[in-house]
Amino acid sequence: MNALVRAELLKLRSTRTLAWLLLATVAMVVVTVAASVPSASEPDAGLSFHESALLTRLVGISFGVPQVMMVLLGVLAFTQETRYGTVSSTFLVEPRRNRVFVAKGLALIIASVVITTATLVVSCTVSTVFISAKDGNVTTGTEFGQVIAAVFVVMMLYGLIGLAIGALVRNQVVAVTAALIWQTAAEHLLLDALPQVARWTPVGATYGLLQLGPIVTTQGTLLDAPIGGLLLVGYTAAAAALALVVAPRRDIL
Amino acid sequence: MVATSAAMTATIELRGLTKWYGSIRAVDDITAEVRPGQVTAFLGPNGAGKTTTLRMLLGLVAPTAGTSTIGGKRYDALRDPVRHVGAVLETSGYHPGRTALDHLRVLATAARLAKGTPMRALTDTGLGEDARRRVGAFSLGMRQRLGLAAAMLGDPAVLVLDEPTNGLDPEGIRWLRGYVRKLADDGRTVLVSSHALSEVEQTADHVLLIAKGRLIRSSALAALRAEAGVGCRVRTPDPERLSTMLAAAGYGVRLDGDELAVDAAAEQVGELAAMHRIVLHRLNPTARLEEAFFRITEQPGRPDEAHSFESAPV
Repeated sequence: MNALVRAELLKLRSTRTLAWLLLATVAMVVVTVAASVPSASEPDAGLSFHESALLTRLVGISFGVPQVMMVLLGVLAFTQETRYGTVSSTFLVEPRRNRVFVAKGLALIIASVVITTATLVVSCTVSTVFISAKDGNVTTGTEFGQVIAAVFVVMMLYGLIGLAIGALVRNQVVAVTAALIWQTAAEHLLLDALPQVARWTPVGATYGLLQLGPIVTTQGTLLDAPIGGLLLVGYTAAAAALALVVAPRRDIL
Repeated sequence: MVATSAAMTATIELRGLTKWYGSIRAVDDITAEVRPGQVTAFLGPNGAGKTTTLRMLLGLVAPTAGTSTIGGKRYDALRDPVRHVGAVLETSGYHPGRTALDHLRVLATAARLAKGTPMRALTDTGLGEDARRRVGAFSLGMRQRLGLAAAMLGDPAVLVLDEPTNGLDPEGIRWLRGYVRKLADDGRTVLVSSHALSEVEQTADHVLLIAKGRLIRSSALAALRAEAGVGCRVRTPDPERLSTMLAAAGYGVRLDGDELAVDAAAEQVGELAAMHRIVLHRLNPTARLEEAFFRITEQPGRPDEAHSFESAPV
């Protein structure tokens, strides 16, 4: 298994996809923080310039785009193999396909740790600079550590969900489009329209885990962090199980 | 040189291999053996079922019925399959943004091969100087070479090549012929699919002829040539007389345009014409093997003859 994981990590490193995704992620983190800080001065923004959790909230918000990027990385980890035909040589080297899927998952977990760390460094730095520039509160309350831990979990799970989507859908354009619509539109529309339902969806559970309730909804409907975390783990496990059952049985044409 | 023990266990066996895609029968009850030390051509027109059969052999496509083994084991039961079997399946099996060396390093890492193996394989296939170029910039011929380099990473006793000459220029084809010949001479089992008879004639020792998903013939190429016979086309100002002479000598002959098509070697026809003082304006040998190929592949419904061409196993 070690050899397979190392091979999957080499696949990720040996094309420009990971570098571009990481660059785009960092850039979007800066943009997200910059766009979010001014709203903190607005009275109904859910954020107060002087509350102790300001930095924590900004860091949580800044992981919106990185979550999407992590799903895309997971999707591409499999769909690129199908698109370019490398899936044949992958399964010729290791015909036990479930082992390949597990190796890809482990490689994505390792990649998620690196991406999350880099994103956190940028997010914390930029958030601190922006808040300090306006004399806001940059203290780290008790929630800060919880959110830091949560973003590592969220990024890891989203990579696995993306991998499952890629394994199940296979067509890269369809898989990427579906993942983008799900994350950036469908669930947010649902959150606005039916918050009581949306809090049980993967994105709703994620917001609960990241403790973004005061920001993403004014109705206080998001799940508590532990429940949100468990629900997200459940969604990931279900998606991965489905992929492990369905995908290995398919013919490689 | 492949170790004798490896070669001894490198026979490919197909038993009743069948594949249905919905209501379409892509491969129909193929049974054959491919033995070490020779190049076996898997010959048939496009869409005959060659690629599907090879993918079933390699565990990439699940057969509807039947089995395929390499050295007595299914592909997915082979321990370290890359060390037993190398395969070139398609020219598009590369990420265009990855370098040739990285492409092979990925495979070698997964297969737990030595670190120097990828570079050595690239050098052996003439790509040593292009190792750090991205595959997207490679010509089709270079990609075919890269495919062979990938197939040879584990120094396998069995090579499976699917239409390896597709897109190659004449120089590349010539190089490939020599490379494949050497692999077989080393004692490896080499199975090469092709739709081009001319290519097979210059490379193969043995032929598995497939059409419409069925194995039509399994034969040594020399035996196929013998069965097909040799022939020639003749132009003469006295076709009726030459026709009579040839028929009397027992040769098949028919008028085709302003020429006679004769089921005899050009030398025999020339000698007969000289003996009877018949003037010839033209005398050309014809590719009878090609005619036989088309004749056979147009009659796929003869399963009882599938293995009757030669009594010995393939």
